[in-house]
Parts: sequence; structure tokens; C-alpha cells
Amino acid sequence: MATEESPQVTRRATRSYSASNTAIESTNPPESYKPTINDLGFRQQPLRLEDLFSSFPGRRSQILELLRLLGPLNSPMFPILVYGGPSTGKTSVTLQVFRHLNRPFIYSSCITCYSPRILFESILNQLFHRKDSGHSYSSLKRCERPSDFVNYLREALENVITNLKGNSGKVSSKMSGRPDGTMVYLVFDNLECVRDWDKSSTILPFLFNLNDILKMPEVGLIFISNTSPDTYYLNIGYAEPIPLYFPDYTEDDLRHIFMANQTNSRLYASFLDVVLRPFCRVTRQVDELAAAFSSLFKKYSEPLSDKEVAPNEEMKRRLFSHIRPHIASALNETFQVRSQPLLKAETNQETKKTNSSRMPGVREDFDKIDFHMSTSAKYLLISAFLASRNPATLDASLFDSTGVSDSHKRKRKASEKSMDQKEMAEQELLMKGPGTFPLERLLAIFQCITSLAEDSLDEEESHELTVEGGSRGLMSDVLLQLSSLCNANFIIKGGSCPLEGSTRYRTAVSEDLALKVARSLKFPLSKYLYRR
Amino acid sequence: MGREKEKEKPSEKALNLLRSRLSDPNFIFRPLSDSPDSNYSKLKFIISTSVTEACNNSILLLGPHGSGKVAVLELVLSDLLQQYPEAISVIRLNGLLHSDDNCALKEIARQLCMEHQLLFSKVASFDDNSQFMIAMLRECGLAHKTIIFVLDEFDFFAQGKQRLLYSLLDAMQSVNSQAVVIGVSCRLDVDQLLEKRVRSRFSHRKLLFLSPSKEDTERFMEHILSLPMDSSLPHNYAAEFNGRLKKILSDERFKELIDTYLSFNFTIGHLVRFLFQAVSYMDLNAGFLSLGNLKTALSSNQRQLKLESIRDCSVLELYMMVCMKRLEVKEQTSYNFYSVMTEYKSIHDSFQTSDYYAANVCLRAFEHLLQCQLISFIDNKGHNQSVEFRPVKLLISSAELHQGLKSYQQCPAILLKLMDR
Repeated sequence: MATEESPQVTRRATRSYSASNTAIESTNPPESYKPTINDLGFRQQPLRLEDLFSSFPGRRSQILELLRLLGPLNSPMFPILVYGGPSTGKTSVTLQVFRHLNRPFIYSSCITCYSPRILFESILNQLFHRKDSGHSYSSLKRCERPSDFVNYLREALENVITNLKGNSGKVSSKMSGRPDGTMVYLVFDNLECVRDWDKSSTILPFLFNLNDILKMPEVGLIFISNTSPDTYYLNIGYAEPIPLYFPDYTEDDLRHIFMANQTNSRLYASFLDVVLRPFCRVTRQVDELAAAFSSLFKKYSEPLSDKEVAPNEEMKRRLFSHIRPHIASALNETFQVRSQPLLKAETNQETKKTNSSRMPGVREDFDKIDFHMSTSAKYLLISAFLASRNPATLDASLFDSTGVSDSHKRKRKASEKSMDQKEMAEQELLMKGPGTFPLERLLAIFQCITSLAEDSLDEEESHELTVEGGSRGLMSDVLLQLSSLCNANFIIKGGSCPLEGSTRYRTAVSEDLALKVARSLKFPLSKYLYRR
Repeated sequence: MGREKEKEKPSEKALNLLRSRLSDPNFIFRPLSDSPDSNYSKLKFIISTSVTEACNNSILLLGPHGSGKVAVLELVLSDLLQQYPEAISVIRLNGLLHSDDNCALKEIARQLCMEHQLLFSKVASFDDNSQFMIAMLRECGLAHKTIIFVLDEFDFFAQGKQRLLYSLLDAMQSVNSQAVVIGVSCRLDVDQLLEKRVRSRFSHRKLLFLSPSKEDTERFMEHILSLPMDSSLPHNYAAEFNGRLKKILSDERFKELIDTYLSFNFTIGHLVRFLFQAVSYMDLNAGFLSLGNLKTALSSNQRQLKLESIRDCSVLELYMMVCMKRLEVKEQTSYNFYSVMTEYKSIHDSFQTSDYYAANVCLRAFEHLLQCQLISFIDNKGHNQSVEFRPVKLLISSAELHQGLKSYQQCPAILLKLMDR
């Protein structure tokens, strides 16, 4: 067969690149890392079975089933699909099982390899043990189509397997750190992301049929997925992989998991007694609970001067009454990641907190938005919110040139029919969501609002002379601000209307956030909101 | 290494042996092909006559996935290659990989080059490749060598303009060429997909691969699971293993189990996968296959996936699903997150439940339901709306939801009451 050389890619050299290149060429080029076959195994201390069980509480039966399906050394296997909810330990259990068994495997995740080409090339790079010394980031072989992938994969796997077979005849692998056996396992993680790819209708059947296409008994396939097997809708027949289910953790398992590695286990156990049950009603995922518990535990152990003490009953009751008001509020913000300045502000305001124990949805003292926005961006956001909320016909009356907004309607006695209509209209508004608006309308509202702000500024600082520079400063980079707001997903850019041909925008912020932004600018947003 | 092998328990060796057997399609399908009217013999007859009499031929192998079409074909081809070593060359294409014409011709050219030790150039164009193929066909015809084209997943080749099929079948019409085209597909009506000009050049030979009868299945299972008496396994162990196996196979419960399994999955491929699972669950300390292993394998195949997803939900997510169900009952067919929230609020107001959480927490629960595919968006085009406003629909029926709620530990009683209304 003809030798296949990867084509030499000529690169345009920028000035800085060639400048640094000359510096490098004078010294010896650094030895690029040459991966060998030992890299295919898990290169850490091998794990005993008991350690495997103890590091994954509640997963004993799944680990045993996985071990049984993988089978003894050099035994061929059918493809396996490991599925279960997020953060249930599927990936970690699989990888640790391979560490325990010390067998060679190739791991690729469909989140980092977000297109077929990257997926194929990542697998081939791991198998080929060679990297171009010049371009250490590019792949060895360019591979876009499944047909090329299968050919290269077969070649690479045959290489690897003959290598492994050669090694297995020599010294026992435990001493030399080499992986065991002559089988190679391919692990595909996060398979549910493949469903959203463009080419998913060909790639998914290809992956599931890979076992049959390769026809190599020395290769084992393991798929890991967040969703159950029936979400992979395929209309060609394929041999279904053997399913292995990881159920969500029960409350007892969660307790074991959180108790591990705690310095003061009795204190933490009493903490868990209080918080675990209510939080489990909201979510049972370990990562979300861990985030909530870490901050709550700090609050729980605040009154204790000595953090190492084991609490007795009376102390437990005291701590419970201390933490009780915080649990309800913590439940309502289970998933927020707080920024640093606000955490500090919170600790300063501890003494001022007066909450009753069960007030759901209590408005916290987070009146401030916890990210930085420039003033013009804030005004732009408010104008976008108003443009989406109010119908266009109301703009003239709301934004008078004199800046006076007068939305008093003559109050009439509401008849029943109009109440029904109001309800229907409200429901329609809920379903439709925020409306779209063209760019010109947004800029017009922005102009009105900022001129209002100018006027109010004028009133406050009437003795200041330099005022006109202000309005020009606000208008200068509006389009740039608009595109950054679109990138931050505050405003969504929709498709262009076929009749008019201009792009329409839609706001994507909730009313809470808009009110917060308006409050930070001291802008009376509620006066301008259209309420039916 | 020799010492380690002796320490290997006989049960481990038996496990290894059975697992390798079950993963090897050749071993599985050879006994099924022994009778003279089996597909194996028919196929072998057709291909060998084409080879010996130097004529062209085409045939379709049809049957559900896992019924052994490619396995039987490989058996036939390996036998023929032994019989006529110089007179056959095989080109294998797969519809999943090579449905594009350029790809397919490149692969054909590559395989031809590999077989005849020629240099293959990767930058050859489509025309170059097709001329090369036609030239090779002519040369092989003159040398009395038959080229066999195996087209797996044939229905993928029948999509689009069918250029490859036409050029292949057309090239076969010339006097000089000797080629056999074998199409393998799981669609039984794949010849209806062919264009008129392609179908006219295709001989309408079809071989159907159906599932074997019940007695054949039982005989097959016994054959495949029995340990050979003359291998390296200790004789009494193998004898006892086979004895126990016979007892299991004649057990009434086993027959019921197999009937249940086969009523859903009736091909040999599925059966082999089931047996593989059962064999893997074999307890190495006891050393023998038991009925319990088979039962475990059956239950792991008969999962109720949606119920499992419901059991993995938290209480808040159950609330949201019940709210959606109530909205459906109220004849509101399309709802989004905010309408679900109003329903949730109204439930809280009328029943004073203790589970009332803020909107951002509920939004996260909503997204989790989307991720598990218990609900989904109605259309995929609404990408310029945020998640809260896009309409969704429930992907489980109310009966399933009801069953899930009943089997949920510590399900709040209010939910069951709401579902019953």
C-alpha cells in the first residue's frame, strides 16, 4: 500500500511569529512529548476493589455489573450503554473501573469534541502515539468522514493490538506499569450531545454500529449518556447496546457522600439531619446540593466558637433555631452562584436580617445587580425591555417630547366581559412572550429616555456648565453596546422580517432584572410599563 | 505465564470460552447453515456458479437486523476463497459510510489497489476512480477473476441519484466483466426504492433471512452453551456444567422466560446478546449457569425507562409535571413555563402546600425535565425565544405519570389527589 503522508500546510507567518521563531531556532527545539502505549492505561496507582467500592457509596451493584459485563482479561464484549441522570457518577465509575482493571482505553467526550471531525481526530491522536513535533496542536491525520475514520482506526488499532500482544508475553505488567491485556476499549462520553449535531442522523447510527463495522473482537465500546436509550430515535435497525442504569442517589447515599472527608463528622451529621430532607425535595443532584450546603454549613457553625466540638442535644437545638430562617431563603436560591463583593456585603448585613421562618419567595436584599454594566448599556437594556413589553402604538403617548408621561385612563367600572377579556389577554401575553421590535424603535425610545435623564441631571446640577457633552457620550457607541448585549443574551436578535427586510430584536430579560437595573439608575420604570 | 494459567479456575475458562463464542458470528451461524435448503447453501450455489461459469449476477439478502445475513455471507465467502483461491476478489462497501458516490468510488479503488498491490493515490478524482474501476473489471474479466461487491446497508445506496449502483450494474452488462453484486439490507422492500433503469439491470433474486423455528432455537441454545468435552477444561466439570444446562433448558420456567423474550426480540442476534448478558452474570464461585442469571438478564432488558426517569425526579419536578397534566385536562394544549407557574401558584393558593419555591428554582427543575426528555419543545425553530416562553409538551401519558407517582417514595399525597381529579 502506498505510504500516506499528511500534506505539508504552509502557514502565513505573522511578524511576531517569525520574530519568536528565530529566537527558538537558535536553541535546540524542545523534545516534544512522545506518547507510548503505556499512556493508554490509567497512569496512577492501581486501585483495589474494596477502595473502588468505598469511594463510590451506593454504587456497589452498578460497579459489579460493569465488571461482569467487561469480563475477564482478553474476553470480547458487546457494546455497553451506561445511562443515568447528571452527576450520578457514570463517568467517574467507568474511569475508576478501568484504573482498577488496568486495561488500555481511549476516552473521548462529545462535549469537548463537538463535531464529528474533532471526535475522530481526537481518538486517532490518542491511538497513534505520535505527534508532529512542529505543530503540537494539530492532529496527525485530517479525518472528516466516517469512511476515512474507519480505515485509519483499523490501522491504528491493529498497531496497538500487536504492540499489546508483544508486551503481554514479557514481564508481568504490574511491575512495569503497562496496561494489561490485548483488548482496547473506546469510551464515548456525553453521547446525548451528538443528538444536537448537524449530522446526527448519520453519526449516531454509525457510532452504534461501529462494533459491526469494525468487526474486530479485540475492541470494546462503552457509551455514556445522560438520557435513557429510548431518546435515541433511529429508524434503521441496529444492535442495541447492553444498558447499564445508574439511578439517582437515595437520601442515605447522599448522606454517605456528604459525610466523606468531613473534619468534624458529628457536627456535619447534625447539620445534614436538618437540611438534607428539605433540599432533597427540590433536587437530588450532588453538584447542586454541594454548592448549597457549603455556604449553609458556614452559617450553621457560626455560633460555635470551637469548630471541633461534637454537639450534644441542647447545642443541636440551638444551632437548629439559628439556621432555621436561613433554610427557607436558601431553598429559593439553590442555584445561584454569588459573586465575591456580595458575599462580603452579606456577612456585614447579618445582624440586620429579620425574617419570619416561612415566608416563601421573600425578596432578598439583592436589590443590586451583581455584574457591572455601563450606564448607556443599562439605558439600552431598559429601552429594549420597554420596547418588547409595550405595543408600538403607545410610544407616542408615553414618551412625550416634554418628557411628561401621563398614563391616567378614565376609570370605568369593569364589566365581567372585560374581565374575561383581560384574563384571556393576559394568558396570551404569557404564552407569546416578549414582542419583537426593529432597531429604529429601540433607538427612538433610547433617545427619549436618555434625554429625560439629562433633564433630571440638569435639575440636580443646574450650576454645572458642561452638560451637552453628556448626551453625545451616551449616544456614541450604542450600536456596539447593542451587539455586546446580544452576545450576553440580554437581547435576542431574530430573523429579518420578510416584508421589511430589517432585523428585529427581542428582549430576554425578566422583569425582575429590568427593575433592578432601573432602580440602580433611579429610573421610574413602572410608570412606563403598559398594564392592561 | 504458564503458572498463572493453571491457577485460573475452570469456571473462568468456561466463562471466557462462552463469551468468545457468543461474540463470534461465524461460530453462531455455522450450525444453522448445515441443512441443504438453508440460505447458506443457496447463496453458495449462486456465487459458485457465477464464478465457475464466468457470468454476472446480482442478489439481495434481506432480513431484520441480527438475523445473520452478513455472517452467512462471510461464511460462504471464506469457503469459496478456500475453494477457488485465485479466482475471487471481494470489495466491501457499507451504506452508512459510503453512501456518497465519491466516497464509494474512492473506497472501491482503494480496496482494489490493496488487493492487487497497486499504488493508490488519494487525490484521484471521481472520473479517474470510475475509469479505474471499469478498467479493472475488464482486466479481471479477461483473467477469469470474479469481483464480488458486497453492499451492506443497501438502502442507503438507494438514496439520492443512485449513480454508483447504476455504474456498477451497467459495467456488469459488458461481455468482458465478471462481477457479482450482493446487496444486504434490513428493509424488505428495498428493490422498490431502486430507479427504473437500475431495477431493470438487477436480477430479482432475493434471499429472505427469517428467524428460525422454536425447536431450532432450542437446539441452537443447547449447542452454543454446552462446553466441549475435549477441550482443556477438566472433564468432570464440563460434564456437570452440561448436565445442569440441560436441566435448565428443559425447565418450564425457562421456556416461559424465553418465550417472553423472543416475543419482543426474535432474531438470533438479540438472542445471542441476551445469552451473553446471562453468561456474564454467572457466579464464578459457584461455577455454573443458573436460572437466576437468565432472569436478571431478562429484567435488565425489560426496563420501563420513563418510570425510571420519573423515579429520578425530585418532588418539585413532579409538581411541575402534574401542573402540566392539569393544564392539558383544562384543554389548554400549548403551555410554556410561565403558564405552568401560574398553575403552580394557583395550586399553592388553594391547597396551601409547603412546597412553594421561587421562579429561578422552578426554572432549573424545568430545564432538568427537558434534559431527561420527559417534556420537550413543540418545535425546534423557536431559537430566538428564551426557554421560559417556548411552548412545551409532555412526553409521557397520564397513565404513566400516575403509575410513576404511585411508585414514588414519599410522594406528597396532594399530587395523587390532583391527578385523580
